[in-house]
Amino acid sequence: MSNFEQKEPPRREHRLSACIARGGTLADMANRKMKCCIPDGERGFTQNSICLLLPALGMMNSIPNSVVLMHGAVGCGSSAHGGNAGVRAGNAHRWGAAKDGTWLSTALDETDVICGGEDKLEKAIREVDQRFSPLIIFVVAGCVPGIIGDDIDGVAERLQSEVGAKLLPVHCEGFKTKIWATAYDAVYHALGRVMLQDTAENLALPKPKKPTVNLMNVSSMGRVDEVELERLLTALGLDANIFPVFAKPEKMYSMTHADLSISTCPTHDDYLLTYLKEKYNIPYIIKHMPIGIGNTSEWLRSVAEFFGLQTQVEELIASEEAELKKALEEFKPLFTGKKVFVSAGEFRALSTAILLAELGFEVVAVRSYHHDEFADEEYDKLAKITVKDFPLSIANCQPFEEANLIRRVKPDIFLGHMNGNATAAKLGVATAVIYNVGLQFVGYQGAYQLARRLHRQLTNPNFNQNISKWVNLPYSQEWYESDPFAYIKNGEVEG
Amino acid sequence: MSSFIERPRFTCALGGAMATVTALPRAIPILHAPSGCAGNHAWTQAGGSGLQVGGYCGGLSIPGSNIQENEVVFGGIERLEEQVNNTLKVMDGDLYVVLTSCVTDIIGDDVASVVRPLREQGIDIIHAETGGFKGNSYLGYELVLESLLATYIPKAETKKKGYVNVWGIAPSFDVFWRGNLAGIRILLEKLGLTVNTFFTVDDSLEGIRSAGAAEFNIVVSDILGHKAAEISREVHGIPYVVSTLPIGPSASTDFLRTVGGELGLEQAFVEEVITQENRRYYQLLEPLTDCFNDMDLQRYVAVIGDANYAVALTRFLGNDLGWLPETVAITDVLDEEEQSTIVASLSSLTSGITPKIIFNGDSTVIAGQVKEHWTSHQGKNGKYNNPLTPAFVIGSSLDRPLALELGAAHLSVSFPVANRAVIDRGYTGYSGGLRLIEDLISTIIINR
Repeated sequence: MSNFEQKEPPRREHRLSACIARGGTLADMANRKMKCCIPDGERGFTQNSICLLLPALGMMNSIPNSVVLMHGAVGCGSSAHGGNAGVRAGNAHRWGAAKDGTWLSTALDETDVICGGEDKLEKAIREVDQRFSPLIIFVVAGCVPGIIGDDIDGVAERLQSEVGAKLLPVHCEGFKTKIWATAYDAVYHALGRVMLQDTAENLALPKPKKPTVNLMNVSSMGRVDEVELERLLTALGLDANIFPVFAKPEKMYSMTHADLSISTCPTHDDYLLTYLKEKYNIPYIIKHMPIGIGNTSEWLRSVAEFFGLQTQVEELIASEEAELKKALEEFKPLFTGKKVFVSAGEFRALSTAILLAELGFEVVAVRSYHHDEFADEEYDKLAKITVKDFPLSIANCQPFEEANLIRRVKPDIFLGHMNGNATAAKLGVATAVIYNVGLQFVGYQGAYQLARRLHRQLTNPNFNQNISKWVNLPYSQEWYESDPFAYIKNGEVEG
Repeated sequence: MSSFIERPRFTCALGGAMATVTALPRAIPILHAPSGCAGNHAWTQAGGSGLQVGGYCGGLSIPGSNIQENEVVFGGIERLEEQVNNTLKVMDGDLYVVLTSCVTDIIGDDVASVVRPLREQGIDIIHAETGGFKGNSYLGYELVLESLLATYIPKAETKKKGYVNVWGIAPSFDVFWRGNLAGIRILLEKLGLTVNTFFTVDDSLEGIRSAGAAEFNIVVSDILGHKAAEISREVHGIPYVVSTLPIGPSASTDFLRTVGGELGLEQAFVEEVITQENRRYYQLLEPLTDCFNDMDLQRYVAVIGDANYAVALTRFLGNDLGWLPETVAITDVLDEEEQSTIVASLSSLTSGITPKIIFNGDSTVIAGQVKEHWTSHQGKNGKYNNPLTPAFVIGSSLDRPLALELGAAHLSVSFPVANRAVIDRGYTGYSGGLRLIEDLISTIIINR
């Protein structure tokens, strides 16, 4: 039975044997296929981070004409206050006007915990449908309904015939998975089950006239990055359907008319791509992330090969790479030999590390948020392009390990996610954010723009250097003297 | 009552508690929670608290038990115990505060059983049950204060004359909390008092531990901090006085008089301070007089905010700045008694005008009622209309669409404040009023 026939998608630790607790070196990773031999470790000391709800909200809040109805305590979903800047900018970049995301909370209280919250949810769905007349209501479960046993799927099923909006139950109970990349599966699951079905209006959607690809973006790229990929695909004569962020609900089904689906980050998309292949026979490519010079070219090659455009793509790559490499020359002297620590979601961390090596940096540490099979090849690529072995950490953030590592490997610059650069900054290290939907990272243009920012940060790292002289991180001396991976249990690879 | 809250202007009790503990000097929160609560809070702060995330140990640095389904089924105490013991080794803090979450409160983990033995060993560790379903972030602030008062702050044999504690401002969810607390302290210091504000960079744990020796507790909120003051009265025998958040000269004058009276300070001395402060305020304001008048900078105002801000801003705008508050929306969840206190406070503006008062936290409802008020004043006299223009919306970032529709200028003051960077700016006291005038008028003339 397809996963999509279940109410909830399986969690990634089961589906992909994904793991989050591991410390070692790049050589360990590149030489062993971690998937088969790493039972996930546990930490005896952990720091809190995010759960799958946060990236899921990033996707859901972007969908035009949708409402996110959080079923949970009043705090679940408040991260959307932070995500809203991206929603406003995303709307402005695409349609010329800043617009906030719409989300609401059933704000479950003590009475609901005791008596159940399904009645409240039913009432809320009716009210939301009336007030906003949206095309989609995402009915999202946080931890509380997961424990008290509220059945969001049952409620959605009961109410669907009464309301105008399509009801999409999404499971984001934070205690159920430690791999927050399960968020992508959770949202794809809901979209697939409801929006990608053969309804009469969907079947009436026009078919594309040109060769068309589904370009997957779960919010890891801003509009600027989409524009760069569209530019490259257009150069090959291909049109792109971008999905799911900012995709108009009424046109989502057009996905099923594409010739090919392409992942832009293999950590994200296998769940939906498999579904599209199984149900609509749309082949897919889930290999390479178009970040970095070599990886962008490889990504393009794999797409072109599918359409038999090998000659065209080689011409395109040759001219793009030549132009980019020439432009990068001015930055190289400052970059050469500078040490860099990279931290992000697994695929992004690895492809960015490869790009930094291309730019002349010495990669001295990488931290990936989790590990699964899709990235195996990237570890090999990284091992090939870097000279020396270096520490590699698999951690769902855990800045205490990072602080310890930074003091050991002493990077000149650190690249981390949103809310993940402060540790390095307070240690006086220059930083450049590795993901922010307002900035450019992807494709040839992204490589150039990232290089510009790195050059700028390295030219004057005074902000971080000054703050490091006057503030301390909250870690003990004892901890700095310990092995950075001391709290990982079962961390050793067997055999 | 609605079955949902649209984009709540607060987060949950746990979020409020995290912000509060993080604001204590060298304090380390320890979450007994699934893995996402600190991250949710960090993004909430990044988007709502004027770009201030964390502090000494905040954001994703906050240690936590990161419980999973296994602990939900079998209980999470063992994991918490391991986590707490290792936290004491890894984290460098002077006070550790275990905070519980929805999940651990529902499964009923007995956190006290982990914390108490450690405290008996002399470790400064306390806990608060802050499951998100118990209430919003303001409750989280209260719960941490209660825990501090009940277990961390010892009873003092003798009271120190002129020593006062100040409560009623919730870190992070009053986005200007640092500056506001400092502003209150500066005011009270003018009266010769020594002031314990708990959460500013000038406070210390030593000071907080001596809170039991205060002569008086001062609560600068019609809503928040009352329970802490009650506990302190019962446990530590300290009386308290309540005031609306004092923003600007009129409110600050009232505040100084009230406090002076309650503490039995010499009246002539208090009046002397008040005279000096008012003179200073108006001397500083004096050079703005030309442009303020020439540029026609008076505005009709829609005020939207939590109970602290909505009332204090309205009174300042009406009583001090001479603006025209038309509508006031209070976004907290309040009981009838609290609502009537606020109505009374808003019905006594010196201009004699009482604004339309809206008790609702829902942006759509608020915007609807404000627009209705504005529309009903639009007039239908052809080209001779007397609408409510020029207008200003002072609220949160969520009220920008409303301001756009009214053609009004807009300033975010109440949570969430997404579009301003805030460090130590504050609006309390006499100087706070001047800061607010600067911000309001700078917004109006930004394209000048």
